[in-house]
Amino acid sequence: MQRSGNLVNGIIAVMFGILFIFCWQVGGFHVLLQLKPYQLPLPTDIAGALYSNFDVVMENTKFTMCEALVGIFLGSILGFMFAMLTAIFPKWGSGGLTLVTAFNAVPMIAMAPIMNNWFGMGMSSKIAVVTMFSMAPMAINTYRGLTVLKPFTLDLLNSYAADKKTIFLKLRLPNSVPNVLTALKINTTIGLMAAICSEFFTSYHGIGFELSTVLKLSQMSLGWAYIVAAALCGILMYGVVSLVEYYALKWHTSQQ
Amino acid sequence: MSSTSEIQIRNVSMVYKGQKGEAIAALNNVNFNIREGEFISLLGPSGCGKTTLLRLMADLLKPTTGEIVIGGLTPGEARKTRQYGMVFQNPVLYEWRTIQKNICLPLEIMKIGRVERNEIAEEMLELVGLSDYANRYPRQLSGGMQQRVGIARALAINPKILLMDEPFSALDEFTRNKLQEDLLKIWSKTHKTVIFVTHNISEAVFLSDRVCVLTPHPGQLADVIDINLPRPRSNEVRDTPEFMSLLARIRKCFMGV
Repeated sequence: MQRSGNLVNGIIAVMFGILFIFCWQVGGFHVLLQLKPYQLPLPTDIAGALYSNFDVVMENTKFTMCEALVGIFLGSILGFMFAMLTAIFPKWGSGGLTLVTAFNAVPMIAMAPIMNNWFGMGMSSKIAVVTMFSMAPMAINTYRGLTVLKPFTLDLLNSYAADKKTIFLKLRLPNSVPNVLTALKINTTIGLMAAICSEFFTSYHGIGFELSTVLKLSQMSLGWAYIVAAALCGILMYGVVSLVEYYALKWHTSQQ
Repeated sequence: MSSTSEIQIRNVSMVYKGQKGEAIAALNNVNFNIREGEFISLLGPSGCGKTTLLRLMADLLKPTTGEIVIGGLTPGEARKTRQYGMVFQNPVLYEWRTIQKNICLPLEIMKIGRVERNEIAEEMLELVGLSDYANRYPRQLSGGMQQRVGIARALAINPKILLMDEPFSALDEFTRNKLQEDLLKIWSKTHKTVIFVTHNISEAVFLSDRVCVLTPHPGQLADVIDINLPRPRSNEVRDTPEFMSLLARIRKCFMGV
């Protein structure tokens, strides 16, 4: 019953996608938004540009993906460790978490040019920006998972005279798994965006760099080809995390 | 009946600090003894301090004044040497563990080996009639089944005492009656001392050897009533005149409160 429901939903989604691309191809959006084809290239032109520049698009996509993945990894690890320390030492931790939350409110993309100044024009400055972006969501979400416990779950362990280490390993840590995965999902989207945006400023490679260059040269179709590549990367990363979530949270009510 | 006092509660008072710093008396000078192997209910309306009293015995709270002795130990020592198993208002199963692994949890904390852990868990599952559900996750079980797992987990460490805090209050009446009967069967097999908190008069009468009636504001022990209904008890006992008169007698304790 549920499975056939998913199938129907899938078919509907694909049909909408096809309809969307069809409208685009026959110029529906051009009429609607009053755009000329050189402003909004047709899907066939974008596919053509992607095909004839496949190698260079892949090269730059690899570059951006690398920055995003390393940055997400570092940022998530740092955020997770911060949340753990906060949960273990609540006295200084709560102040630190307020700081992270405040830090998160800073429009961090403004830091990108400064990071270029600090870490050079290569990958490391972009990785630094992505790391900064992905730290706070992981720290805040994981902290919630480690500290917001269901009623009596802590009393139960106390009634067995469990020590703090046992409480952490058997209750707090497993309790935080759904939150950690949610943070990872957020970070895949944020991380890719942060990597591309920081490439806009100063760099020699990557989707962001190429995008700003080809648009200056009015190579609209190629620009769109990069956007397609970026979208596919985003979907891929999100999909991988969702898959991990599906297997890691078989017990969770959200998987019913 | 062996008449050694398993648990002694002497002059226990408990005062909480309210939100504005005012003192709220939850329990006022409670005294009574519980014998080994006895089934005791703490009965009263909300705010009578019955759960507070249970949590004092469990060493999850410390009394303001007075003393509790459990088998010659302080509540703290009793907790650390795992003299009691506790069952809560909701089943408190860890949803990422299977039913079997949930029952194993206290055994893991006690560092009992895997093979022995699984043996005990299987035995407990059989005791509560859930052998077929060992590898399910908690969300796949009904509320009544989940609470049976809670009981199985409390019994897994083979404690002398079972502390139960309104364990059936969230269940519908049919499931509750069934679990009450099952609890009595389990009790007759395991010979634990049971302290059972409830706000349901007929539940207290059906289950207990003695019912401690607590009245609120501040919580104090109004009366201790012997329930001399014959055991083993089944659902039919609820329709007997003796049962009815006990209900009426207890209801009188709360008149004018």
